[in-house]
Amino acid sequence: MRSVFKNKKDTESGIILFNSVEEAIAGERILKASGYEVRLVAPPPELRRGCDLAVEVNLVEKAGIERCLRERGADYLDILPLKGKGELLNVVKVTDFGEAVMVKAGNMKLTFDKKSGTVVNISGGGCPDIPFLHSELLDRKLADAERPKEKGFTLCSLMLDRAFEESLEIWRKQIKE
Amino acid sequence: MLLICGTIPREDFPLTVGPVFFDGKELTLDGKTVSCIQGTAALVGAACEVAEFLGEERPFALLVGDRGTGRGSRFLYEHLIKNLPSLSPRVLVLHYMLPVMGLMKKVCQSAEQCEKRPVMIADAAAMYAAKAAGLAPRFDIFTPDHSEMAFLADPEASHPAYVSRHLFESDGAMIPELALASFKQMGAATMLVIKGATDYIVEYGKVIGRISEPDIPALEAIGGTGDTISGMLGAFIHAGFSLTDSAVLAARVNRLAGQYSGATPATKIREIIAAIPAVLRDHVPRQNPVPFDKIM
Repeated sequence: MRSVFKNKKDTESGIILFNSVEEAIAGERILKASGYEVRLVAPPPELRRGCDLAVEVNLVEKAGIERCLRERGADYLDILPLKGKGELLNVVKVTDFGEAVMVKAGNMKLTFDKKSGTVVNISGGGCPDIPFLHSELLDRKLADAERPKEKGFTLCSLMLDRAFEESLEIWRKQIKE
Repeated sequence: MLLICGTIPREDFPLTVGPVFFDGKELTLDGKTVSCIQGTAALVGAACEVAEFLGEERPFALLVGDRGTGRGSRFLYEHLIKNLPSLSPRVLVLHYMLPVMGLMKKVCQSAEQCEKRPVMIADAAAMYAAKAAGLAPRFDIFTPDHSEMAFLADPEASHPAYVSRHLFESDGAMIPELALASFKQMGAATMLVIKGATDYIVEYGKVIGRISEPDIPALEAIGGTGDTISGMLGAFIHAGFSLTDSAVLAARVNRLAGQYSGATPATKIREIIAAIPAVLRDHVPRQNPVPFDKIM
């Protein structure tokens, strides 16, 4: 088995932790069968929870990997970055343009019309699912649209999902008032 | 050759390379049409407008369909790794693609084998991959927005979604400090064109220019307004403008295009791109070099 320490420069940036070796092997098999480039590794000591076997992944693909494991009933403990803090940025900033509100989460911004609750723009990001989600969400009402994390594959889609979630909350509060 | 590489949000679009025709609404590449929406398509559209205005050859694009699975992105990386030396573009723009650090490293190695090393520009997730893999110093220009600047300055973050909260919250207030920190940590390219309420031009970690007029706050909300800056930047450089002049021109033209189009938060990027030819005619001298004070 390969250790993530031996060749850090060539490793990707994330790791999936499992409760048991059996779950880790099953998780790796499921992800490989779905086209993900992953491999079994020994988790670094500072991240180790559960068993001594983990799956190394490209952390950017977190949204798609979570959905793939969930849909196939595979159990896992967590998906974490190999360095830095383990939690996604969870801060949002809101800009009121008068006729529209822009909600920014990380590198993603979603803007909706205050009167209709319609998504009028999405900006920021850089992963390939963003132009797709942009075309899917544009001109859709927040209340009717599917959440970005259900169709996206990457960390950018999770940031967009956070902006979407906050936008929906702002919109719902507004229509109650 | 100005070579622009990226993905478009379709699964039915095979890897395609060639000169791009742009009719103001759609791109045509090897007989295939692509709508000019946010993302690499917008970048290519803006580059085409600048190239046409300056009488330059059409930009080349290397496009592939990818809605986020990364399959198309991997084809794109592999094609570049194999063919960059024979393509030998003068300017290479890397844009929307799944960030894969190992493959980006090989692309950089392939670029070194070109007859003459291309001017290397990265935006969007190509920039994320370059920074995360420690390859930033191999690039001439990155074009982050303010939140991406925080990512470049965070030595631990492999994607903007994991940037430290205090860096994210600093937003535009600490751009000079973040730019210097990112350069010292080898998280920045030689030049940064930082897009925001004020656009910053940074060289070797130091701010050398600020552009804040015309002030069009709605541009931040419009998806694709960063892409258009990167596309115009590549086209100006390819036409022979200096990196600094190109950066200032691209930032200025983008703002003016927002003004010409009467941009609101609901404006679409195709409307901004449609205004670019008029801005170029009215504001950009065709002679090169352009005196710096004329374009600030």
